[in-house]
Parts: sequence; C-alpha cells; structure tokens
Amino acid sequence: MFKKLVSTLLAGAMVLSLVACGSSEGAGQTATTESNDTAVAQTAEADGDYTQITYAFVTFNTVPDDTSEVEEALNQITRDKIGVEVHLMPLSIADYTQQVSLAVQNGEIDIFHTLGDLGNSIASDMCYDITDMIDVDAPETKALFEEEWLKTTMQDGRLYAIPTLKPFALQPMLIYRKDIAEELGLDLSSVKSAEDLTPIFAQVKEAHPELTPLAPVSQGDSGLTRWIPSIDWLGDSFASPTGVLQGTDMTVTSYYDLADFEKYAGIVRDWYKNDYIMKDAATTTSAAAELMSSGGYFAYSASYSYPLEDTAASLSAPSGYEVGAIALGDAYLDTSSMNAVAQVIASTSENPDAALKFLNLTYTDADVINTMLYGIEGRDYVKNDDGTVSYPEGQDAATVPYTAQLSCGVLGNFFIQWPLIGSGSAESLAWEDEQNHNAPTSPAMGFTFDASNVQTQYTAVSNVIQQYLPGIACGSVDTESALAEFRQALKDAGYDDILAEKQTQLDAWLQAQ
Amino acid sequence: MSENKSKPIKVKTKYAKSGPLLLIAAPGILYLLINNYIPMFGIFLAFKNFSYKKGIWKSPWNGFQNFKFLFHTKDAIIMTRNTILYNLAFIVIGTIFAITIAILLNALGDSIRTKFFQSSLLLPNLMSWVIIAYMVYAFLNSDSGFINNTILEALGKEDVAWYMERGYWPFILTIVYLWKNAGYMSIIYLAAIAGIDKSVYEAASLDGATKMQQIFRITLPLLKPTVIIMTLMAVGRIFFSDFGLFYQVPMNSGALYATTQTIDTYVYRGLMELNDVGMSAAAGLFQSVLGFIIVVTANAVVRKVDSDNALF
Repeated sequence: MFKKLVSTLLAGAMVLSLVACGSSEGAGQTATTESNDTAVAQTAEADGDYTQITYAFVTFNTVPDDTSEVEEALNQITRDKIGVEVHLMPLSIADYTQQVSLAVQNGEIDIFHTLGDLGNSIASDMCYDITDMIDVDAPETKALFEEEWLKTTMQDGRLYAIPTLKPFALQPMLIYRKDIAEELGLDLSSVKSAEDLTPIFAQVKEAHPELTPLAPVSQGDSGLTRWIPSIDWLGDSFASPTGVLQGTDMTVTSYYDLADFEKYAGIVRDWYKNDYIMKDAATTTSAAAELMSSGGYFAYSASYSYPLEDTAASLSAPSGYEVGAIALGDAYLDTSSMNAVAQVIASTSENPDAALKFLNLTYTDADVINTMLYGIEGRDYVKNDDGTVSYPEGQDAATVPYTAQLSCGVLGNFFIQWPLIGSGSAESLAWEDEQNHNAPTSPAMGFTFDASNVQTQYTAVSNVIQQYLPGIACGSVDTESALAEFRQALKDAGYDDILAEKQTQLDAWLQAQ
Repeated sequence: MSENKSKPIKVKTKYAKSGPLLLIAAPGILYLLINNYIPMFGIFLAFKNFSYKKGIWKSPWNGFQNFKFLFHTKDAIIMTRNTILYNLAFIVIGTIFAITIAILLNALGDSIRTKFFQSSLLLPNLMSWVIIAYMVYAFLNSDSGFINNTILEALGKEDVAWYMERGYWPFILTIVYLWKNAGYMSIIYLAAIAGIDKSVYEAASLDGATKMQQIFRITLPLLKPTVIIMTLMAVGRIFFSDFGLFYQVPMNSGALYATTQTIDTYVYRGLMELNDVGMSAAAGLFQSVLGFIIVVTANAVVRKVDSDNALF
C-alpha cells in the first residue's frame, strides 16, 4: 500500500512538474524558495552576471529556516574567486534521497552527494561526466587525492564524482562501559579480536546477571560483519554483502561461505544461548547508544574512523556512561570506504563548470567549507584561540540560526575544517591522515562494480539476506540449519549470477591494470 | 411553437437542479482527477529503463524487464499466496465478526451502553499501525514481554521467541487485524440493520418467531446486498495488503518473512535498496491489473447468480 502510494506520488509529481515547469513544486520550504531563486536568476540574470548554482546536502542538525545570510557570506568569497553565487539546500536525511532525485529530474540543483548509492546514481544517469573538466576547474582538489582514490568514483574510465575527503579507514571496535570494566578488573588489553570477548562477557554476566553484555548496533547488527578481517565488499554495503574478496585472493567468494563467517556465527550463537547478547537483537528497533544509556548493557561493537581515545570520548555523552574503546581488528580500505559519500555534479545541471569550481573551493578554501558548516561568525559560532570552534555563549547546536556541524564527514575536505571544541587535536588529524594513506588496502582498490546487468537478482537476493542474516548474525537461530537454508535460498534467488558477474567485471578490471 | 419554447427551459431547469449538486461534487471530482487519474500517466514507467538525464518521456523502453524481479524467485509464490490467503481470511472472518458485532449492538437498542461499546470498538481503528506495532511488541518481546513473563511463566511453559517463530504469525496478524478493523466494519452493517423495516420484526414476533429465528430469517437475508457490495470491494483489493499490518507489526523481522511477506512488503524491501522507479511502477501495475481482473470476474459471477446485487 505504502509502496504504491510512494510510487504513484513519485510518478505523479514528476508528471506535474513537467507540465507546470518552473512553478514551485518542492515539498520543503527551502526547496521551494531555492528553485524560484534559481529560475529567476537564470532567466533575468538579476544578480549581476554571476552564475547561480544550488548545492543540496544532508544536514544532521536542525534544517535551518533561512540560509540567505550564510549564502551571502559565501558569495562574498565566491564572486571574486570564481564568479559564482551559490544557493544552499540543506535537507534532512529522511528526505534527502527522494528530494534530490526529484530536484535532479527538474534541473533544480547542480551539486549533490551520494549516500552509499553511487553505482545506482551512475546507472540512472544522475551524474555529470566530469572527466575532462576536473583538470581545468578543480586541479587543486585533484591534487589532494591519490590517483587510486579517484578511480573509486569512475566507471568505464570516466569520472562521475569526487569522494568526500575524510578519515576513510573504519576500524572495528568494542565500546564498553568503563565503570563495569574497572569494578571487575577486566583485562581488556588481552582482547585482540571478537572471539576473545567470550571470557570477558562471562565475567560480566556472572558479576552482574541483570546486565546483558552485548547490545546490537542497530536492528539485526551484532557487529559480526565488521569482525571478519581484510574484506573488500566489491560495492555492497556491509549490512547486505554478497560476493566479496578476502585478502589478496582475487576470486570472488560468497561472504556466507567464508570460514570466518561460520566461525563468528557459531560464537554469537553461543553468546545467545548464554544470554551474553540481547535476545531481541535481530528485531529491536533501538540503536546502540539508546540501549547503552538504558543501563542494561555492557558493550556494543561498531566501526569508527577516529583514534580509540577520541572515539570513546565522543561516545560517552550519547551512551550515558563513560565508555572505553578497544580495537577488534584492523582498518581495511576498499573502494566502498572511499566512494560511499562522494560529491556529484547533477547530470541536468546547466552550469557544470561553475558547480565544479565551487566544489573545488569546498576542498581547498577553509573559509568556504567552514562557513557552510558553521554559518556566520558571532551569530552561529565563535572561534577560539586554539583554532577550534564553539557555539556562542548560551547557545548550542539546536538554538543557533544555522549550523550543519554534523555534516563534517559529508562535505568537502574534513582536514581543513575547524574542529568543534574538545575534538580533532592535531595528533588525531595526523593519525587519521596517516591511516588514510597507510592502512592495509584491498588489491582491488579502485574497482567499481556495475550492478545493472544483475539488478533483478540483486532485489531478490537482498530480500533473502534480510530474511536470514539478522537472525544468524545475532545468534537467535540455530547456526547450522539456518546457514544451510540460507545458502539454498540465495542460490534460488540467482546469487550465483551476481558472483559470476562480479568475477567477470573484476577480471576485466585486472586485465586493464 | 410551444414545444420549441419549452425545451430550453427544460434544459435550464435541469442544470438549475443539478448545478449545485455538481458544484458540491466538484472538489471530489477534482481530487479524483489529480490523485487517481493524472498519476496514471506514470504507468508507462513500468516499461521503461528510467534515466534521470533523459527524463520520463525520453527514457528508453525495456519491455517487460522491470516485471522480471517480481517472478524471479519462489518468493513470488510465497508472497502472492500470503497476500491472497490473508485477504481471504480477513474478508470471511472480518465479515462474520462485523455482522455479529452489528447484530449484538443492535439488540442492545438505543442506550448509553450501545454508544459506549460502539466507541470503544471504533477506537483501535483510529490508531496508527506504528503505535499498534509497539502495543503488540509489549506483549510479545522476548526479554520483558507480557506473554512470556506473565502468562507463559504462570503456566510453567518455556519462553517463546515470538519474532523468530513464523508459525504463530498467521494467527497473531489475524487477531490484530480484527481488533483494529472489526468495529469499524460493523458500522456499515449496523446502518444497514437500522434501515430494515421494524414492522417486519413485529409481524414475525406476532407469528411466534424467536430472536434467533428473526436474526437468521430476517436480518441476515436482508443484509445480503450490503455483504455482497462490501465483499466485492474487498475482493478488488485482494492483491493489496495493509502495509502497516505486515511491515510494522512483525517489526520487519527477517525470520518471519515466510508468513508475513506480502507483495507490498516485498516490493518495498526490494526497492528501498535499489530505489528503482521503473520496478516500483511495474509492481504497482501488476497488482492493479490482477485486482481489476478479479473484481470484474467476481462481479460477473454475482450478476449471473443474483443480478440485482451486482455492482455494475
């Protein structure tokens, strides 16, 4: 019912917007004014011959009512530097994908970014081919990237996006409550991987039977898919993997046939039987931070791209307790860690060169990127002597007129952003930069998988995965029988076609290297 | 002469009579046009390989490619079976419950009690599925749920992982559906019963008919047209499922798909990942065409058997 509603609405809205070209169709207020502004500026060139572009991005903060002052502050820089005026279109995460797809369809926006869906965006023609433009419009940005990194946003040798420059290397960690660990004198330094956790959990359970040692990160995600080392996901999300590479072996292998998968599934199953993991982990709708702050859980396992101490420090407030972090393995870089969030010029943009020039500034000009993030100095933020940023006296992220601080990992260049006070020390930044360049990297780094030939199979297979993976990953079903059933169901859904297609494309890619 | 003169007047009076009615209907007609007819242009997206750059008119055609994913696995059989069987169960059991409630309420006569029961039966219908899903969750969750911790414990039985055991869900979903909808459905039957001529009952009781006989010999036969219309309308939607019931109430638990997957939830889950406009249009079209065929067939059958009660 809902699906049909959405699809008919979508189709309807598209038709309507074709008929009523240029009228304000946008659902959000920002979207409406923005599209009108663009239309006016493009036809009348009222703003003195500056090229107008619109930038749609996700804000995890409150969506601001009025972006005009921030735009003016940006334009004072961009008019002189590149002769461009920019309109900002911050959107909430819930609306983003849908609003962007409509806006691209209508030619209302010039720049947007992907959220793990680059392959799909390229396949449906949403991305402008910027291969020949980047050397002219954004050479400084290009120089920031290693050559291999930009291959992650290419398809068939053409460049369609620029990855957001940020700490890429995600490391699997255990986030645990320090008070319990100290009280019981737990030896967490002995923990090198997830199997070492069993005795720790046993100690916690024995001393505190009312505590459940492990909470899921989110529904059906015990952390298991992060613990298996050296995985190149070949374009899949870690929540729904299919064929992967492990280590240096260039044979595409089913994720669920890996010996490590079976091993960890068995371990989690034992945890489930011993009440070491939340019983409803496969179906709960609560996320880790919420569960931790309820006081009923000892730890959870997720991946972060910041140093252990920084991660623990920033997670203490949302978890409600002081937490510590230990690594459960090493970070590993593959194509998807680079291209998950990448900046795209819309295929329907009328001013792709101007848009790319502006993107270039978000990677290279600290004033531009920080104005986008923090807004107006004095009104939205104040700058401290040590280069960090605070909110004005008596204000916070929720009360200032404009802030997009939580989009720091989404926009432009993370390494030239001013850190919020209490985070991002110089040592941390150096560590993160070091990780980006030196963390172990998949031999297939730069390979992108084009799923358009097996899209039918993907839909069917992803349904099967959602059916079995959460239960197995959280130990709530018998590992052996569920795995056998799971593998058969995958086969029936056309799984082997996907693996074969991946291998074919990978072999072709290897040949070309 | 006189005839010629009277004609325009006749037309005029006809408009004068129906004009205000048309005016009243205008917003409704407009709504139908905008909401139900204009989006129908989207149908041909089902046969296109949608490209953002080329737009909906210029995207290339791709035949029945978009429909393939619906039939790619044995999931197609499972979800179609689930959708139809649940709907059949809902139609049959729902109608029986609704009529029973209507007859019982009617027997109470006009009193405060009736109003009270009617309102409390109607209340669940006003709640959103998300809220209901959490009410069900409060009963069923493994750690602190009411059933595991109170009822099963008192009976000395083992805990049940409700959200992992698919066998229970046909019953759970049917109960939840009835709890939410039976009261609402009963209103229509209550209205139909209220429309039955009271003198028929008086005559019957004079002839010595018991209350039971009155129900089975008078009320039920006279409700037949209403039942047929309601059933026909429900049958037309037999390929559509109540998304909230099948998606929210089982908490989207993967282990339950074998008994909770319907066409709508399958399409939703598949397309949330791929965000493919063509495929969702294809699925919507598939459901509509099947629904259309079934409602026409059912109506033809009714017309054969009992032509007065056919819809068209």
